[in-house]
Amino acid sequence: MMPSPDLIFGLASFVFTLMIFSYVIGDNPLFRIAIYIFTGVTAGYIAAVVWWQVLLPRLIIPLISGPLEQKLLLVVPFIGALLILFKISPRLAGAGRLAMAFLVGAGAAVTIAGALGGTLIPQVMGTITVFDLDAASARNINILEVIGNGSIILAGTIFSLAYFHFGARPRPDGSMHRLGIIEIFSWIGRIFIGITLGVVFAGVYAAALTALIERMSSLIDFIGKFL
Amino acid sequence: MRVITAIIAIAVGIIILAGYFSPAFVDLQTLLLNWALILVGMAALVGVFNLIMVHADKISRREKGSIYSAFLIIFLVATLLFGMILGPGHSAMRLVLDGIIVPVEAALMGVLTVSLLYAAIRLLRRRADVMSIVFLVTAALIIFGSATLPFGDVPFIGTLIRPWITQVLALGGARGILIGVALGSLTTGLRVLFGADRPYGGQ
Repeated sequence: MMPSPDLIFGLASFVFTLMIFSYVIGDNPLFRIAIYIFTGVTAGYIAAVVWWQVLLPRLIIPLISGPLEQKLLLVVPFIGALLILFKISPRLAGAGRLAMAFLVGAGAAVTIAGALGGTLIPQVMGTITVFDLDAASARNINILEVIGNGSIILAGTIFSLAYFHFGARPRPDGSMHRLGIIEIFSWIGRIFIGITLGVVFAGVYAAALTALIERMSSLIDFIGKFL
Repeated sequence: MRVITAIIAIAVGIIILAGYFSPAFVDLQTLLLNWALILVGMAALVGVFNLIMVHADKISRREKGSIYSAFLIIFLVATLLFGMILGPGHSAMRLVLDGIIVPVEAALMGVLTVSLLYAAIRLLRRRADVMSIVFLVTAALIIFGSATLPFGDVPFIGTLIRPWITQVLALGGARGILIGVALGSLTTGLRVLFGADRPYGGQ
């Protein structure tokens, strides 16, 4: 009798989890085999997803059976895709530059729009709105608390930004140094960044702990099926 | 060629950017983004092919650890072939996802528990400065404050200190980091649009 697919992949899941957990005793061949297989399977899966969900429905099928207008519009990405294929050969890789230039230009525009609309403006607005006294009084929050917390958030934002200011001036002896005020701001900014990274670390640790518990539970469940 | 690549990058970037600010450019922006999506898909396939070639080269030169490369290529090609024929939504492919990819990702995340703890101990032993101490004390307070006890939150730390650290102190630092990253991304994007940076090989 053939084992059921669920049993086969339950066993695969069990074996791969043990192989990965073997890393706890140090880097070893079992861990490496699992990682290389994982990389191969993931790359193959991504390629299949790209083929079925991007290239086939957006390029191949419309080029074969779409209306003439759509076919004409797809000539440019079709040529671009062929040019990218030239990247495989080191001798012909230069031809792929045209398509790469297109991608870099599009990426730059999306990055600018994302940075502006997705991060810069919302974060600046968020820093301003913490001082919204009307909203605070509507929610029965003490005004002093709002101003105090808002000031700490504002100070944290400014000092953390100062930490990333790397402009420096040369001293008479040739060495470079930052302005004294920036140096002080930067030192306080390090404290805020340390606190922020500590919170992020705690969040990642909690997520990792959850994943560990889930995997341990899955191992116990799988063994339990045979007992 | 250098001039043409720069013109393409700048023109495409400006048109797509204009689409975010003016409705007149939205259709053109959508068309260009669709083209970019197709090119990204093809670039991903070329990347996968390059991965196969790099590891095949390692095997042919009998480099140390080439047995691992053989595992990678066998599983990559098998998944790719089955994926191309059956499609990623097929039940067999879903089982590959649930039997290998998801368990390995979760197990790697689980191993991170040990790695992070080890890294934290090493940090304290190797660099016991103000930033390291602030970092570790904050992490300890947040983890301890998040613990669920039979009677509820840990008094004072869980109810007062942890929310204040996460919602006030860490928020300030996070805003500074995020704004810094956004300013960096903005500058990098603008340098590409002005032609000052040409990462597509047009120097």
